[in-house]
Amino acid sequence: MSDIPNPAAPIADPRGASLLVQDGRTKRRNAAEDRFKLYGIVAITIGLLMLLTLLFTIVSRGTGAFQQTFVTLSVPLLEDKLDKNGNRDLEEIKKVSTFGYAPLLKAAFETKIEETGIETELKSKAMADILSKDAAAQLRDHVLANPELIGSVVEFEFLTNSRVDGYLKGRVTRESIANDKNISAEQLDLVDALVADGSLAKRFNLDFITGADASDARPEAAGMGVAMIGSFAMMLVVLVLALPIGVAASIYLEEFAPKNWITDVIEVNISNLAAVPSIVFGILGLAVFINYMHLPNSAPLVGGLVLTLMTLPTIIISTRASLKSVPPSIRDAALGVGASKMQSVFHHVLPLAAPGILTGTIIGLAQALGETAPLLLIGMVGFIASNPPESIAEGLMSPNSAMPAQIYEWAKRADPAFYERAWGGIIILLVFLISMNAIAVLLRRRFERRW
Amino acid sequence: MKDNRYSESDVTTQPVKIAARNVQVYYGDSHAIRDVDIDINDKTVTAFIGPSGCGKSTFLRCINRMNDTIDAALVTGDIRIDGEDIYDKRVDPVQLRAKVGMVFQKPNPFPKSIYDNVAYGPRIHGLARNKSDLDEIVEQALRRGAIWNEVKDRLHSPGTGLSGGQQQRLCIARAVATEPEVLLMDEPCSALDPIATAQVEELIDELRQNYSVVIVTHSMQQAARVSQKTAFFHLGNLVEYGDTDDIFTRPKDPRTESYITGRIG
Repeated sequence: MSDIPNPAAPIADPRGASLLVQDGRTKRRNAAEDRFKLYGIVAITIGLLMLLTLLFTIVSRGTGAFQQTFVTLSVPLLEDKLDKNGNRDLEEIKKVSTFGYAPLLKAAFETKIEETGIETELKSKAMADILSKDAAAQLRDHVLANPELIGSVVEFEFLTNSRVDGYLKGRVTRESIANDKNISAEQLDLVDALVADGSLAKRFNLDFITGADASDARPEAAGMGVAMIGSFAMMLVVLVLALPIGVAASIYLEEFAPKNWITDVIEVNISNLAAVPSIVFGILGLAVFINYMHLPNSAPLVGGLVLTLMTLPTIIISTRASLKSVPPSIRDAALGVGASKMQSVFHHVLPLAAPGILTGTIIGLAQALGETAPLLLIGMVGFIASNPPESIAEGLMSPNSAMPAQIYEWAKRADPAFYERAWGGIIILLVFLISMNAIAVLLRRRFERRW
Repeated sequence: MKDNRYSESDVTTQPVKIAARNVQVYYGDSHAIRDVDIDINDKTVTAFIGPSGCGKSTFLRCINRMNDTIDAALVTGDIRIDGEDIYDKRVDPVQLRAKVGMVFQKPNPFPKSIYDNVAYGPRIHGLARNKSDLDEIVEQALRRGAIWNEVKDRLHSPGTGLSGGQQQRLCIARAVATEPEVLLMDEPCSALDPIATAQVEELIDELRQNYSVVIVTHSMQQAARVSQKTAFFHLGNLVEYGDTDDIFTRPKDPRTESYITGRIG
């Protein structure tokens, strides 16, 4: 633009001019260059600021999810409630449902009040309501795991409900609970007293990372663990299918296939597939894998198959690029000493391309790990309450969710306690993505060779 | 004059190793090599000279069928090594290339150890029965490549860490390790400095003892120094072929004369 000669301007005559003085043309060129540099710096600064804002928001809102409020109580495990016949038969103990444990919790609160001398007008039932709805189940699981404890008094840490947790985290205030049926000012007084006593406090909650999702009424008990297993199962399927198929396809296309219009069409289509919206792969998966092949709904196997289809173009494109970047002189050298085409590829070209292939694969996997839309269509998004699978086969076939789907699920629930967990889930997901990318960079650095 | 040559060297008494008749090469629409007839002798260094793009490298790559790897290339005519047509349907180019070794313009060692570079050919062709056999083949090849003394203490360091001239001699050692009968060299010294060039030229002269060596070169001095026979290519035609001395002192064709005196090229 500035290089087009302006017909009105006088023709430059550089002869005889001093080198110590910049002429007008040079000044304009330098100014244009400086302006361009400035634009670049401004663009990068804006980008960095946005990134920092994003990270700051995620960390500040999400870290709360890793902490949960617990209350420590001494629970009398009364034999006449839990094991009426006294024979410690596990089957009989299992018959006592969580309702059977509720009186124990009330009793535990009564003892607590007596011990500490806290003054409250609350009934024991109202006191027990500051506990999570999951508390009785927690206790029951503990008893079933250790039936010998029946008859003794155990110290136990119970989850409090999400309002109490929010109160300690500053999300819930005495003003905000005016119309809240789940908690009353008296209950908060009790909470304050218990905090002063030291038996109610926030601490790190491993269950958020390892646990399963929980229903709408129990946000404090929800965790990412099972969704994480679902994601791993899908990644396993993607890795096992997409890597060999993708690498084999790229080697064939790049090294063996004749260059004609058929391969051209294939090439164009692979590039196009990489740009197809992922939800299209989702509906394809629904039609083919679930409706036609009758694979189970919501199964990570189906999710993995869909994500394999989605990841293949990425892997093929990056593998072909890294195969292309191996200098032809290496192929010539191998052919020159009488290696066959296949020997030259597998002995020389592939090892040199391996770091690039691995990087591409890991980036493809990371992409698949963060994908939500196709999972929507095959039923992996939603409240999927499942226990951690017991075997790899069960992990692949039984209904499960995935990390990003779990985050989406939490984000759309009403209780603000779930909102906090969605941010926390994003932190976990980001930690995975960042470590996968870091591994990709490390592999590249480690195995990159010069020739 | 021809009688003098006979008394000087016995080059012309060597049997014919490679015989080419009526060779045509097409790259797509362009006709890169036209009607080339040539007899290349055994245990002789034959130089192909000519201006850039004259087809000398193309013809060289016909001799071990490296042109097969280029989709657009089409070779017709008849090339025989020891009387066998190498473009016969029954010939596997992979087997042919073990017999006809090649050294490329740019040194291209594998990014592996020096030992593995040389041992690769013998390994894939099953030339060694055991490890000590292989060690011996590698040593022998590196000695023939005139590089043994420089690398014998670091056989397991990477071949890419050597200097340019050493790399090229390593590539020559790698080529001779598969016990070829013909050695093709495509401008082997064009990427080397004068000292490395001198070493490689000396080596080429020694290799004449065992192989039929065909070398493509841009340097007429190099052709004059190392070769016994010279072929001059121009625009895809083999213009003149004869004893190196005759080509450089008494060229028959005016185009050859123009080239060697520097008027074309």
